Amino acid sequence: MRKMVKQMGFVFNVDLCFGCMACEIACRNENQTDSTVRWRKVSRLIDDTFLSVSCNHCNSPECFRVCPENAFTKRGDGIVHINSDLCTGCGLCIEACPYGAPQYDPVTQKASKCHMCYPRQDRGLPPACVESCSTEALTFVDLNTFCDKKMVGTIPGFPDTRLTNPSIAFYPAKERNRYFLK
Amino acid sequence: MEIYRHACPRNCFSTCGMLSYIEDGKLMKVSGDAKHGYNQGRLCAKGYAYTQYVYNPYRLKHPIKQTPRGSGNWERISWEEAYDTIADKILELNKRYGSNLASGYNKFSGNIGLLHYAVEGMFNSIGPHTKPIGNPCLITGEQAMRKSFGQMNSMMPEKMAKMNAIVIWGANPAVTNVHQMKFILQARQKGAKLIVIDPVFTRTAATADIFIQINPGTDGWLALGAAKLLIQSESYDQEFVRNQTVNWEEFHQYVNEQVDLHEVCRQTGIALDVICELVSIYSMAEPCATWIGFGIQRNVNGGKNISAINTLAVLGCHSGQENRCVYYSHSGIDDFPVNLLNHEEPEHPIVLHSREIDINNFAENASKLVDPPLKLLWIALRNPLSQDQDFQAWESLMNELELIVTVDLFMTKSAEMSDIVLPAASHFEEMDLNVSYWHHWLSINEKAIPPYYEAKSDLQIARELMKKLNDRSPGFSNFPSEREPIDWIRMELTPSVKKLYSVECIDDLLEGPRLRTEEVSNSSSSSFKFRLFSQGNKGTSTHFINRRKTDVEESYPFQLLTPQSLLKIHSQYETMPWLNQAAEQEVVELSEYAAEKNGIMEGDKVELFNQNGKIAAIARISRFLPQKVILVKQAGKNPINRLIVHRPQENKEKSSMNFYDSSVNIRKWREKNG
Repeated sequence: MRKMVKQMGFVFNVDLCFGCMACEIACRNENQTDSTVRWRKVSRLIDDTFLSVSCNHCNSPECFRVCPENAFTKRGDGIVHINSDLCTGCGLCIEACPYGAPQYDPVTQKASKCHMCYPRQDRGLPPACVESCSTEALTFVDLNTFCDKKMVGTIPGFPDTRLTNPSIAFYPAKERNRYFLK
Repeated sequence: MEIYRHACPRNCFSTCGMLSYIEDGKLMKVSGDAKHGYNQGRLCAKGYAYTQYVYNPYRLKHPIKQTPRGSGNWERISWEEAYDTIADKILELNKRYGSNLASGYNKFSGNIGLLHYAVEGMFNSIGPHTKPIGNPCLITGEQAMRKSFGQMNSMMPEKMAKMNAIVIWGANPAVTNVHQMKFILQARQKGAKLIVIDPVFTRTAATADIFIQINPGTDGWLALGAAKLLIQSESYDQEFVRNQTVNWEEFHQYVNEQVDLHEVCRQTGIALDVICELVSIYSMAEPCATWIGFGIQRNVNGGKNISAINTLAVLGCHSGQENRCVYYSHSGIDDFPVNLLNHEEPEHPIVLHSREIDINNFAENASKLVDPPLKLLWIALRNPLSQDQDFQAWESLMNELELIVTVDLFMTKSAEMSDIVLPAASHFEEMDLNVSYWHHWLSINEKAIPPYYEAKSDLQIARELMKKLNDRSPGFSNFPSEREPIDWIRMELTPSVKKLYSVECIDDLLEGPRLRTEEVSNSSSSSFKFRLFSQGNKGTSTHFINRRKTDVEESYPFQLLTPQSLLKIHSQYETMPWLNQAAEQEVVELSEYAAEKNGIMEGDKVELFNQNGKIAAIARISRFLPQKVILVKQAGKNPINRLIVHRPQENKEKSSMNFYDSSVNIRKWREKNG
């Protein structure tokens, strides 16, 4: 795939997330998605940290590759977009995505997914999820230019990244002392 | 798209500034108000779900009447008919008993906007009646704070970001006050230590640098043990102790002679070296914030626990700002006249005062009333059949009542047992003025959309019902029905409020929320001397009361804790699909010990029971829960408060409800019982 001018991506700081789910519901508030459609999901990991994941606007998106209708496009800023006019609701992208990003919408009978709030970004606003994150655990940057040595490509509990090269980066959690009752 | 300014009115620390986006009179979405310095343009998950709250398929649209009560046989009636029926009953009761004492209300915190004191104002306006007093939530702690410090107000919570250490005792802001977390984590990112002390490994505990698990209700032991170590190592502020405390000699002698560290470790379940680690935080880190959660005072030792924690915090606080380093609650409302709440009753020729009933024991006490008995009950901003306790007493009270009216947005458990249910407006459909019991901001709440179907605000209902009564019986009520919401708001902005919040008129608040001026040095507090923990009655071997032995050892070995869940507040928000994704089943969390002892596996259907009854739930086994603790989160449909056992207070002081003093047992669900 050609090199994007930009590659907008999410940065998730595990240490600052306490699983409040504001990002998930802010996404629904902004996009007024159906109750069964979760473009963003917050989940609890085995070590009692949290993970907030949506579409990762991958460098090699599987959805893009498997879609028989060529409904997916990748914009110049790296956002992977689905053209719902072309989607037939076949569900191949839903099966192919390692992150569960495309969601079947029972109302429209098509797949839909996070578009990184590009209408907001086009107006200079951050995605709704990023705006809602009170501790700035979830931010977004241009991964083509942003670089930080402390940042890592994946964390335990995140799906294998080798297939699609997702546009997400992480800051891992710091160590903690926990004294439980015997 | 039009944009309006709001304040979220839920019973929550944050009282967030909020914006609504309106198109053709419809709420399209919401956002946080960036001009509000506390929530800073963000909302919580519940806040972001407000479009589903306003346009919820379960929302009540019209006044409805049920005959007979509890049958589910509802019919739509007009507001006119509802007002007529209620006014008829009030007037008839007045004639029958010669006063309005047979009419009363039960109201609490469903919406904490100032204009929702219209319920109190409405009843005050008809003269002596029956009213609840007290506060089930936080008053034990409030009284303990006032006793220690002489006042209630703490520093702006935003200042937690500047602390070098933050010690949270029994609060879980990651669930109940999410906007505080950013200030806490800002401090932590700059190197501050976050310490959480809690029986439950909460989301906040998971975020902490140091989590100290403690046996429930034993916080006072830990605080006194830590204070003893602090004094032994002479790492307390001796000058402060000399000049600004009372009863130092008594306290010093007491911890020396009577606080046994082995006993502290045994009671709290915490190892001595961990207590030493806590002491090192209190003696080194400066400034250090202590935050005492409401959970600490939901037990019989609540007040003493808080007094002990205050003492530890103050001894360890070297900043000279003795009372400013402990956070509990901020009584922002004290700045205001709260005209509706304090609306003056007209005099009655014979009955001098309204009848007051402790809200924590409302049903039982109300059932006992005679001359006259309570006959009409108005329930607003509350769902007692889910959030109160002693439902049997409620049942017998309801049997005696001739008319029950509930005002709500949804068909709650309490509404289901009412004769008439009136649809309430959401905060997008009414004007209001809001302060917080945590941060120091003042917000106005604008009316952004027309009422949902026939919904009305509590104030509008008061205006119309009181007018109806006066039409029937001139002079029956002295409620100023002609007064508009904006007039009531204007009356709250007294000269001193305007000065405190730097506002000149309502328009200033429409521009954005205003921050209360921080008092640099309050003369009354600087002359006040801190009251160190006091043992109380001499001669008792220990001042902390243990749980009843019979409960612990015999029938009900587990202590029941019933905290809030992330996506609800009490019984509110249950019908929002965005917030309730999984098929909702009541979940009970139990320890591996409890599971093993009772042969319970993860996912089993179980029953939780005690002398009050039982509830069914799905078992979730937690590896982090103390052995003898069972945890069920607050919810409305299958209320866990059914199992809360109320024990009458020994002293007559007002106190919070001791929600965490109940004992239960657990076993696998038995079909034949079900």
